[in-house]
Amino acid sequence: MNLMKLFARKPKSSGVAKQRLKLVITQDRFDANNRDIKQLHRELAEVLAKYFNFTMSAAQMSLKKEGNSYVLVADFPYENAG
Amino acid sequence: MGKVIVVTSGKGGVGKTTSTANLGTALALIGKTVVVIDADVGLRNLDVVMGLESRIVYTSMDVIENRCELSRALVKDKRVEGLMLLAASQKNNKDDIQPEQMKAICTELRATHDFVLVDSPAGIESGFRNAAAGAEEALVITTPDVSAIRDADRITGLLQHEGVEPINLVLNRLSPEMVRKGNMVSQSDVVGLLNLKLIGVVPEDREVIASTNRGIPLVHNKNSPGAQAYMRIAKRLTGQRIPIPELREKGFFSNILDWFSGNK
Repeated sequence: MNLMKLFARKPKSSGVAKQRLKLVITQDRFDANNRDIKQLHRELAEVLAKYFNFTMSAAQMSLKKEGNSYVLVADFPYENAG
Repeated sequence: MGKVIVVTSGKGGVGKTTSTANLGTALALIGKTVVVIDADVGLRNLDVVMGLESRIVYTSMDVIENRCELSRALVKDKRVEGLMLLAASQKNNKDDIQPEQMKAICTELRATHDFVLVDSPAGIESGFRNAAAGAEEALVITTPDVSAIRDADRITGLLQHEGVEPINLVLNRLSPEMVRKGNMVSQSDVVGLLNLKLIGVVPEDREVIASTNRGIPLVHNKNSPGAQAYMRIAKRLTGQRIPIPELREKGFFSNILDWFSGNK
């Protein structure tokens, strides 16, 4: 097993750096754009409220990491009947 | 009417002051009139990098507080005609200057000079905001490491928000050998990540230390690869179209040639 480790090539650090930077810069840009995100959140809520009942206070928007990329997630918790 | 360009990076230690000194000198060497402004109030260094520390009488603070006229506060460079330095005060701190005051200084200087380069302090607080206040263009300096690249992206966002345009990227201290070995992100990686227009790549050059020790900007040493890179950036700033090739390691033969010409 240790022999395997000895011969296995470590991934190049430059590739690791690039991958990490992609993620961290994406998150930074999202955070820096907070005002626009809040506005988008409000506009989405206005449209959705026409069709669904949801708890506005618990609604949120965020970036979630999925593997090597990010997805924009909008959470609008649906209100149960009764 | 000249151009006001802020030289900035977010992170400290990536070469803002070295780049300001060298680009200012390079622009003057090709015949432009230039003022370099040290905007790092309380932590000035552009004066020592340029070897002008013993000639400073007045600073931008004296101009702002009406103790002297702007033209009298400018220190003439001792080596190149057409190059001037406006030093920062060491006795004050960054909040003692307002963005409008910096802007007024820049506006006055650009009327009489081809280029005004503003050396920004590190950080994204008031010092940076003052430095950027009078600038229409920016040079973002980064080195090929994760913290510098991340901070360059952050500062780019702030500059865009202020309407500074164009924002050009200088990639400093690139080592082609380390890129080849996979231990440093490449020129094209950095450009792809930051999504900025690259205006030049300065190779890692040990001569920088010696030139700073002496207070003689690197561009005076015409054989150094770093000097040549700064000269090319200066020419691009004046509008000349010079392609930017991906930096390569020196081959066996050019190393031998260098050895014979004493330019190791």
